[in-house]
Amino acid sequence: MDLANTLPVLLGLACLVPLVSFVLIVLFGARMGKHGEYAAYVATGAILIAFALSSVAMVGWMGEHKPDSAHAEHADGADHTSDTTHAAAASHAGEAGHTADAAHHVSHSDHAKPEYSGEIYPLAVIGTQLKLSISYYIDTLTVVMFCMVTLIASCIHFYAIGYMHDELHEVTDHEVHLRNGHHLVRPGRFHRFFQYLSLFCFSMLSLVYAGNIAMVFVFWELVGICSYFLIGFYFERHSASNAANKAFITNRVGDFGMLIGMMALWGSLGTFTFADTKGADGQVVQVGIFSQVRTEENHFELVVPDGMVRAAAASQVGELVGKRSLTPEAAAAQVAAETPGWREQGFGYWLLCIAGLGIFCGCVGKSAQFPLHVWLPDAMEGPTPVSALVHSATMVAAGVYLVGRFYPVFTPEVLLVIAYIGGITLFIAATIAITAVDIKRVLAYSTVSQLGYMMLALGIGGWVAGLFHLITHAFFKSLLFMCPGSVIHACHTNDMTKMGGLRHKMPWTAYTMLIGCLAIIGAGIPFVIGFSGYYSKDAIIAQALTFKNANPDHAVLFYTAAGGAALTAFYMFRLWFMTFSGPPRDHHIYDHAHESPRVMYIPLVILSVFAVSVGWGIFHLTDLLEQARPAGILTKATGTLLTVTIPNEHDSHEHAIHTAATWIAFGTALSGLLVAVLFYGIRKVDPAEVQQTFRPIYRFLVNKWHFDELYRAIFIHPLLFLSRRVADIDRSVIDPFINRCAWGVRKLAVLDDAIDRLGVDAAVNVTARGIRALGNSLRVVQTGQLRQYVTFIVIGTVALFVLASFVWSYSWAGN
Amino acid sequence: MTSTQLLSFLVFFPAAGAAALAFFPKHKIEAMRWFTLGVTAIVALLAIWMCWQGGKEGQFSTGEAALQSAFSHPWISSFNIFYFMGLDGISFPLVVLTAVLCVFVMGASWTITRHVKAYCILFLLLETGMLGVFMSLDFFLFYVFWEVMLLPMYFLIGVWGGPRREYAAIKFFLYTLVGSVLMLIAILALYFSSDLGLLTPQQLVETRVAKDLDVATELAAKHQTSPGGDHTFNIMALAKIGQHPNSPFNVELLWGKSLQWWAFLLLFIGFAIKVPAVPVHTWLPDAHVEAPTPISMILAGVLLKMGGYGIIRICYPICPDGGYELATFVCTIGVLSMVYGAFAALAQKDFKRMVAYSSVSHMGYVVLGLGVWSATKDYQFDPKYWAMGMNGAMFQMIAHGISSAGMFFMVGVIYERVHHRNLDEFGGLFARMPVYSGLAIGIFFAGLGLPGLCGFIGEVLVTLSVWNYSHALAVISASVVVLTAAYILWALQRVYLGAEYKGPNADHITPMTRREFAIAAPLLVLAIWFGVMPQSLFNYMEPSVTKTADDLATWTRTVKNANLMGTDGAVTEKQLPAATNLVLNQSQVP
Amino acid sequence: MMNLLTEPVGVSHYLVVGAILFVSGVVCMATKRNALGVLMGIELVLNGANVNFIAFSSPALQGNSGFSIGLDGQVIALFVIVLAAAEAAVALAITLNFYNNHATIDVDQADELKG
Repeated sequence: MDLANTLPVLLGLACLVPLVSFVLIVLFGARMGKHGEYAAYVATGAILIAFALSSVAMVGWMGEHKPDSAHAEHADGADHTSDTTHAAAASHAGEAGHTADAAHHVSHSDHAKPEYSGEIYPLAVIGTQLKLSISYYIDTLTVVMFCMVTLIASCIHFYAIGYMHDELHEVTDHEVHLRNGHHLVRPGRFHRFFQYLSLFCFSMLSLVYAGNIAMVFVFWELVGICSYFLIGFYFERHSASNAANKAFITNRVGDFGMLIGMMALWGSLGTFTFADTKGADGQVVQVGIFSQVRTEENHFELVVPDGMVRAAAASQVGELVGKRSLTPEAAAAQVAAETPGWREQGFGYWLLCIAGLGIFCGCVGKSAQFPLHVWLPDAMEGPTPVSALVHSATMVAAGVYLVGRFYPVFTPEVLLVIAYIGGITLFIAATIAITAVDIKRVLAYSTVSQLGYMMLALGIGGWVAGLFHLITHAFFKSLLFMCPGSVIHACHTNDMTKMGGLRHKMPWTAYTMLIGCLAIIGAGIPFVIGFSGYYSKDAIIAQALTFKNANPDHAVLFYTAAGGAALTAFYMFRLWFMTFSGPPRDHHIYDHAHESPRVMYIPLVILSVFAVSVGWGIFHLTDLLEQARPAGILTKATGTLLTVTIPNEHDSHEHAIHTAATWIAFGTALSGLLVAVLFYGIRKVDPAEVQQTFRPIYRFLVNKWHFDELYRAIFIHPLLFLSRRVADIDRSVIDPFINRCAWGVRKLAVLDDAIDRLGVDAAVNVTARGIRALGNSLRVVQTGQLRQYVTFIVIGTVALFVLASFVWSYSWAGN
Repeated sequence: MTSTQLLSFLVFFPAAGAAALAFFPKHKIEAMRWFTLGVTAIVALLAIWMCWQGGKEGQFSTGEAALQSAFSHPWISSFNIFYFMGLDGISFPLVVLTAVLCVFVMGASWTITRHVKAYCILFLLLETGMLGVFMSLDFFLFYVFWEVMLLPMYFLIGVWGGPRREYAAIKFFLYTLVGSVLMLIAILALYFSSDLGLLTPQQLVETRVAKDLDVATELAAKHQTSPGGDHTFNIMALAKIGQHPNSPFNVELLWGKSLQWWAFLLLFIGFAIKVPAVPVHTWLPDAHVEAPTPISMILAGVLLKMGGYGIIRICYPICPDGGYELATFVCTIGVLSMVYGAFAALAQKDFKRMVAYSSVSHMGYVVLGLGVWSATKDYQFDPKYWAMGMNGAMFQMIAHGISSAGMFFMVGVIYERVHHRNLDEFGGLFARMPVYSGLAIGIFFAGLGLPGLCGFIGEVLVTLSVWNYSHALAVISASVVVLTAAYILWALQRVYLGAEYKGPNADHITPMTRREFAIAAPLLVLAIWFGVMPQSLFNYMEPSVTKTADDLATWTRTVKNANLMGTDGAVTEKQLPAATNLVLNQSQVP
Repeated sequence: MMNLLTEPVGVSHYLVVGAILFVSGVVCMATKRNALGVLMGIELVLNGANVNFIAFSSPALQGNSGFSIGLDGQVIALFVIVLAAAEAAVALAITLNFYNNHATIDVDQADELKG
């Protein structure tokens, strides 16, 4: 199979099919069968086609680039050339390991991974150099993500057909009270739901397909808007529309940071594409971001690209270029010659950090990391299939995906920030999850916490570990959401304090949920076999341990990861026990509970199979991810601005570390599980009593660390206050000023008018009046008497003669 | 059809239609409306025909930076005033936007029931004025059309407006008049100091001062000898003179600032009022709130663009030195408008006022994008980011023309039904008017700058281009995306979402009519089209816009830098002509 | 005065006659209340002027080259006669009309043009 030509088409079609479904449902949704019920089939069919296409792509990929599965076993060596803190690891590996190591180093760091990239069409071409385009970038990670997203989305589409069944007829929304005291009765919106799901699938797949950061941003926003629509699906509820707004705006705050990161990249590199752009003859016409940051000559080690160095050293550049003695070409040559020197001086490094931090900001928003994690729990206002698909498995994981995708560009400092943000998030969310009673919110905080895990893993150099956890988490978390969805569907409440004992009523749901819980806590028999979470969580803990060894100052990250594992186990089993075991707390609800229809629990079973097994060797998941690893990131990296060493991930496969990590993970999870059993399983300890004892802490956690109140106080209120003041400026400063000007002009006009009337006009009138008086006085001469006139003529003539003879004669005489 | 006939027809056909309308009997209201719609439709069809790449005479060919369909006939010869019109990538998209938007606006004018005849006549005159402004390349002609457009607008707001229409109309009129007076001063100052003798015969042909090279050679010889120089109103020629190393506009005028600097300032203030930029924007909310829906659409959709058009067509090319010195000022004004408008929009209670402030914010992007003079020596005189900013600004103008017209229309649709605009008294419209709400949300998202819709491209290009000019301004401008999302989503929530409608006249809420759908749907389609295929618009505008930036970057390198550099040895007599030649050679490249 | 009587008839004599005619005419115009009388006075004035014109252009003055004005005097006199005729016609018409309206031709009664 010619992958270079077929893969883009296959995956591109996989993106477009849901879009077609979206357009069809938008235009004809209401007419698709009774109440639009066939819309579900259109959307489900579309995502199934997308899944089929993705699977074909995966098969093709495996055929062409069979991942090398050997490395995981012999990878316990490390990159010795770069490692001094790992003396222990080095001695362990011994001489034999050393040679194996060298070969390993060559195979993983110096070779570019298989990837395909190209342009589909240009969005904007500015001048000869700048170009924004719709392009694709396909590597192993892309294909894996496609399969994961389409598989989970397919399951959830089926599940949603059952879950959204109520929307096929008129819906009475019990949460909305109208002014007349009744509940809202509205027509169902079955097809709308599938329309949004299709748009979401299109956006999510395109996000993964994207070949440049601008396109990522485009679909980043589009998945955001789908999330907005889906959270606000019950838009009659004020809480839902609020949550939708909160989600979108919080995401936009992250996007603000992302824009800054994009600016830093764009302004210095002039390109957004990940990979090199090749011309028709195979020559590289535009060097992509990754190749600029990690050049092949430099063994893919992170260097500040020329563009960034020059952008940071702008004033030095200006000094050279501004010289009149240099022609432009000569100046450019001199700038190029000076660039390595500037790089040595550290120019541009902070720009690279800003770019990385900016992009990470976007991920913080999308993946609900501290401090922008507040939107995700509220996002549970949406229907449960949405929570399962968008707000746990796929969209929120897009942030983690982007960190993974953009990994080559991150400097060690940025990675440290990522690790800390991840660690903080992991801890905060886990503590809140302990006290939450809304079943979906517990899971939402669990999602936040798990995303924190992934970020932490990526931040401490565990590229494969983080993304591995992303995939496994997607399966078990979508499963974990769909089970409570099934419960909510049966009980019509989210409140766990009203549930209990439901495993008798809904066994399929209860036991698939149990599988999910075991998967998320990473249950397994150490060194033998385990649920999918066992593998991914172990990998993370192992990496954290390696990191702790390399950076004793940052050991707190390791303890957070380990402690988080215990908390996870505790709150997950608290949830399971409260919901499914023990005596029913509300009999009314218990009596009405029932197992969900088959269309809902079969997807649960399918997902639980994956939740159990996706980490197993048969899926080659780690091998695939190992293949997807960007070139050069295995090399140990040391920060220059902060003291941090990002260890080689393969160090964590080293035997001693791996063993320790496995036992730590097992122990923490088991302790958490045991505490949960103690509190809620066999009920030896009364939770209420403990709550009473630690009341301040409990209140603090129940109020979600007061983040909402804090943000309201320091952001929202000041912003609204500022906006009102700004509007006031218009109303009470500029407009009055303008009006005062106008008033002044009018007063001036009145004054002018007075001058006109009393001054100029008066003068004119006086003159006119004088002339008129003169005329009047001369009037009397005009008697009308003919004879008189003749007399006057005679007298006048005579008088003239007399005058002439007396006066003028002198002058004539002189002539 | 020669280009003279074609462009003149485009401009004056609406005026002729207005004259014909005068003969309609007073009671034939429906006939007058259809006739007016027909006139606007013919103009729009012609404009769309010009977009077609058929290679026919008069059709605008993409990928060309130079003037197309240009012609120049003597008009008032004693003052060198010409009837000079033409199209390039900067003006052509705006002309098409105007022509197409006028059809929609006329379609939206069915709600006007008083004095329909007068309304239609004024509307058509307005269209003539708007098209004329975008097409004319003679400064005097430009000014005439600028004023022609002002008067109908005054009446359209003042007669058919809301309760405070007189106040709003006078405010609009006076604000704009102040701007045009400042502009007139600058125009005259530039005219009387211009000297055609600086231009080569080649340039004379290029700027259409002379028909062909022979005439040009003759003219050039004549210009050289004429005492005091031959003045011109030709905008293209003025630009060439302004960018000349020995530009007569460099003479010091007042307080140590050159004539260019003052002319730039005056022109910029004049155009900034039109844009409108903070702090000379307060006419806009009042005018929008009081104007009837179709007039709001045309006001936001086309009239505001004249400010941006003036800045890119006139301010920068003619007064590059002023632009260079005042770049920070311009960018600050742009960012201030963006932030200020967004904040003010957030606080509004009146739906239409909120949309009006969103226009202030969105047009801030235009000013910012035009102003980012990043082609400095620090960036090796590379104008690519500035060109991107300018292109983004131009795109933003078109995009805003579509989205803001749509937004105002959507506000108008609901206002027609419930007769209030209080944001807190809506709610639940999605259930009552699903088609309308769907379209409205789409169009508002276009305003929000959602990717895939037209608002995104312009905003993101502008924002990205600012970084190399100033990091601080870039960060502030990027932060506006949050505010924009906040005010638009909040408004959408209060109007369309929610359980039930909370305001008066609830029983008047009826679904969208077919006419309303026929206006809103194409606007949304256009918004999607330009959001998904922005290159289809850039094909037309990019060469000309980029060339403008390139020319100015060349000017910076050869003229400005030459004057600034003192450390590397004084500018010698020998070097200056070399620099001059470089300018001339570069500008001769077609 | 006496010299005038003893001298041969020359221009001065004509002028004297003309002056007498003119003065008679003016006195007539100034004193007569009858419109026809006034008209007669006008005729006298005109004719007095005519006599002057003829006198100045008479052959008796031909010898004095300084005063040689050819036939101009006669021509102007002819014009004056024609003018007088026309004027008389118009004046009589006015008079007749005035009489029709006021049943009198007393010029003192005709003061409607007074200011």
